[in-house]
Amino acid sequence: MTATTTTTGIPARPARSRRGAPIARLTWMLARPGADSLSTLLLPGVAFAVTTALLLTVAGGGAMFWRWPDEEWAATYQLLSGLALALLVIPLASLSGAAARLSARRRDDRLATLRLLGATGRAVVAITVLESALIASAGAVIGVVLYLAATPLVGLIPFGGAPIGAAAILLSPLWVAAIVVAIVLLAAVSAVVGLRKVVISPLGVRLKQSAPRVSWLRMLVGAVVVIVAFVTLQSFGVLPSYTAIAVAIAAAFAIGVGVLNLVGPWVIWLIARVQLSRAGTAQKLIAARTMLEAPKVAWRQVSGLAMTSFVAVVGGTGVSFLIKEGGPADQVVLFSDVRTGIIITLVASFLMVACSVGVNQASAVLDRRDLYVGLDRVGMPRGVLEAARARGIMVPLAWVSLGSAALGALLVFPLAGYALITAPASLLVIALAFAVGIALVSLALVATRPVVTRVLEHPERAQ
Amino acid sequence: MNFHDPAALLSASRLTVSYPGTRALDGVDLTVRAGESVAIMGPSGSGKTTLLHALAGIITPTSGEVIVTTEAGLVTVSALSESDRSRLRREDFGFVFQQGLLIPELTVIENASLPLLLAGQSRATAEAHAVAWLARLGLAGLERRRIGELSGGQAQRVAIARAQVTGARLIFADEPTGALDSATSRETMTALLEAATDGGRALVVVTHDEQVAARCSRIVRLRDGRLDGAERAGSEEAA
Repeated sequence: MTATTTTTGIPARPARSRRGAPIARLTWMLARPGADSLSTLLLPGVAFAVTTALLLTVAGGGAMFWRWPDEEWAATYQLLSGLALALLVIPLASLSGAAARLSARRRDDRLATLRLLGATGRAVVAITVLESALIASAGAVIGVVLYLAATPLVGLIPFGGAPIGAAAILLSPLWVAAIVVAIVLLAAVSAVVGLRKVVISPLGVRLKQSAPRVSWLRMLVGAVVVIVAFVTLQSFGVLPSYTAIAVAIAAAFAIGVGVLNLVGPWVIWLIARVQLSRAGTAQKLIAARTMLEAPKVAWRQVSGLAMTSFVAVVGGTGVSFLIKEGGPADQVVLFSDVRTGIIITLVASFLMVACSVGVNQASAVLDRRDLYVGLDRVGMPRGVLEAARARGIMVPLAWVSLGSAALGALLVFPLAGYALITAPASLLVIALAFAVGIALVSLALVATRPVVTRVLEHPERAQ
Repeated sequence: MNFHDPAALLSASRLTVSYPGTRALDGVDLTVRAGESVAIMGPSGSGKTTLLHALAGIITPTSGEVIVTTEAGLVTVSALSESDRSRLRREDFGFVFQQGLLIPELTVIENASLPLLLAGQSRATAEAHAVAWLARLGLAGLERRRIGELSGGQAQRVAIARAQVTGARLIFADEPTGALDSATSRETMTALLEAATDGGRALVVVTHDEQVAARCSRIVRLRDGRLDGAERAGSEEAA
C-alpha cells in the first residue's frame, strides 16, 4: 500500500482513525523474537519455568503428607509439612516476584517510548499484561514438564523408612492447572504494578538521585514487637489442645517473619556501612555501595534463608538429640523424617534463592550494560567486575544464613553442644546442607557470567 | 616499529579494521605528540569511533600497528593480549565518554579515585589524588555527592578527573560534550583541554561539533574509513 501525496510532494496525512491501538499487533511487534530475545523473552521465560517447577514440586511434597498412611502420626506430619511449606513461601514469593518484575521491567524503555508517541495508559497496560501473561504461560508449561521430569529423582527421597516414589508427589491435573493459572495471574499483576511509573510519567522511569535511607526505628519497632509477642504468648499459659499449639506455632512464625522483614533491611544496611568504611579495594567499595543502594532488595533476595537457617539449626539439633536418645521404632522413623524434611527445606530455600539470584543478576547486567561496557573500556579487569557482583550477593547471603544459624545455635547452646558430641554425623549433614546451599548460589552467579561476556563482546546486541 | 616518531606519544600506521562486508577503517596513519589535542571528525559511519577504539586498544585492528610511548618504553598495542591491553587502558590511558559512564552508586570522590584503587593504591592515597583533581576541575566541596545529584557538566568533569587521576599521558574522549548544552559544553571542553594537554599529555577527541574541534590543536577528518585530505590546524586555544 502506498501513501497518497499532496501537490507539494509531501505524503498526505492519513485519515483519522476512531479505532483504538491494535493491542495484539503492538504486543507482537514488541515481543517478537529478535536480537534482544535473550533479555525480553528467554530470561523471564526461564524464570517462570523454574518457579513453576519448584512450586509444583513443593506443593506435591506437601500434599503427600495429607495422604499419609500412618494414621497415628499423620497429623504431626501434616503440621510439620505445613511449617516447611510456610518456610518456603518467602523464597518462593521472592523468586516468582523476581521473574515477574524482570518480565515487566524489560519493557520499560520501549513502553515509555510508546507513551511519548501518544499511546494511552490503558493501551500500555494492556500490551504489558498480555505480553507478561504470554511469557509466563509459556514458562509455566515448560515448568510443568520440568516438574514431571524431576519427579523420579525427587521420589528417591526417603520418608517413613523408604523412598517415597515418583507417584507420591504427583499433583492432580486440576491442581497443576490452578498453579499454572496462579503463576500467570501473578505475572500479570506484577506487570501492572511494575508499570505504574511508565503510565504516570513516561520520562520518570529511571531517575534515582539519592540513596534510600533505612531508619534505626525498624530495629526499635522490631524489638518492641518481639517483647509484646513474647509476653502475650507467655500469658496463654499451658496450651490445652493440639489446635492451640498449631495456632501458637503459626503466630510465632508470623511474628518472626514480620520482625525479620522489619529488621533485616536495617541489618543489611548496617553491614554495608561497616564494609564501606573498611573497603580498601575497588570490588569491596562497589559491593558495599551496591548493598547500600538497595538494602531492602538485598534483604528480599536472601530473607527466605533467615527463618529456614534458624529452624534448621534449632530443629536439626533437637531431632539429632532425640534420635540419639532412641525410643520406639516409629518415633525414631518420625525424627529421621523430620531431619530429612529440615534438610530438604533448607536446600530448597537455597535453591530458590539461587534461582532468584540468577534471574536478578542476569537482569541487572542487561540493565547496566552501558556502564559495564564503559568500565571494561577504561580497563577495569573482568575479575574485579565479577568479584564486586559476587560480594554484593554473597556477603548478605552469608550474614543472613550463617547469622541466623549462629543465633539458632546460641539459643539451644547446651543442647547443640551435647548433640555435637553425641551425634556429630547428624549435625554434619546439616552443615553440609548449608555448604551445598551456598555453593548453589555461587553457581547461580557463575551461570550469569556468559551474560556479562555477551554484553562486553557485543554491547550493541545485548539489549 | 621504525615509523614511530621519537617525539610522539602515539603512532598509528596503515590501520585497517574490517568487518564482514565492510571496511570501517582503511589504511589510516596518525601521530599524536605530547601537548597536542587532536580532534577526529567526520560524518556518521565514517569510522571515527572505530579509529578511537583501535588507537586505545579497545579493538584489535585487522592490520596495521599502533605504538604508544609509556613509562616502560614503546609498546605495540596491537600485539598485546586482551588482559595486557586492559592494563594499558587502565594505567596509561584515560577515557571520557559521552554519558560519563560513572558508577551511580558511588560518590564523586569514589568514582574519581577508582582507577587508582584498581591500580592497587590504598584508598587514602587514591582519594587524596582524586580530591586534588576534583579541586582543579572546580568540584571542591562536591566530593561526597552522588552522581545523580550533579548536573551534566559536573558529572563530565568527574569523568575527566577519573581519566586523569592515574597521571595518564594519553586521554581519549568520545563525544565528551555530546549530551551537554552549548554553555556547559564550552566549560567542559575548557576543563578537558586544560587538564589533558599540559605536562606532556595529549588528547584525542572524537566529535561531531565543529566548535569543539576548532578548539583542538589539530583536526583530522575521516570519510568512509579514510583520512579525508589534509589535516587542519585548530584555533588559537590550541595547546
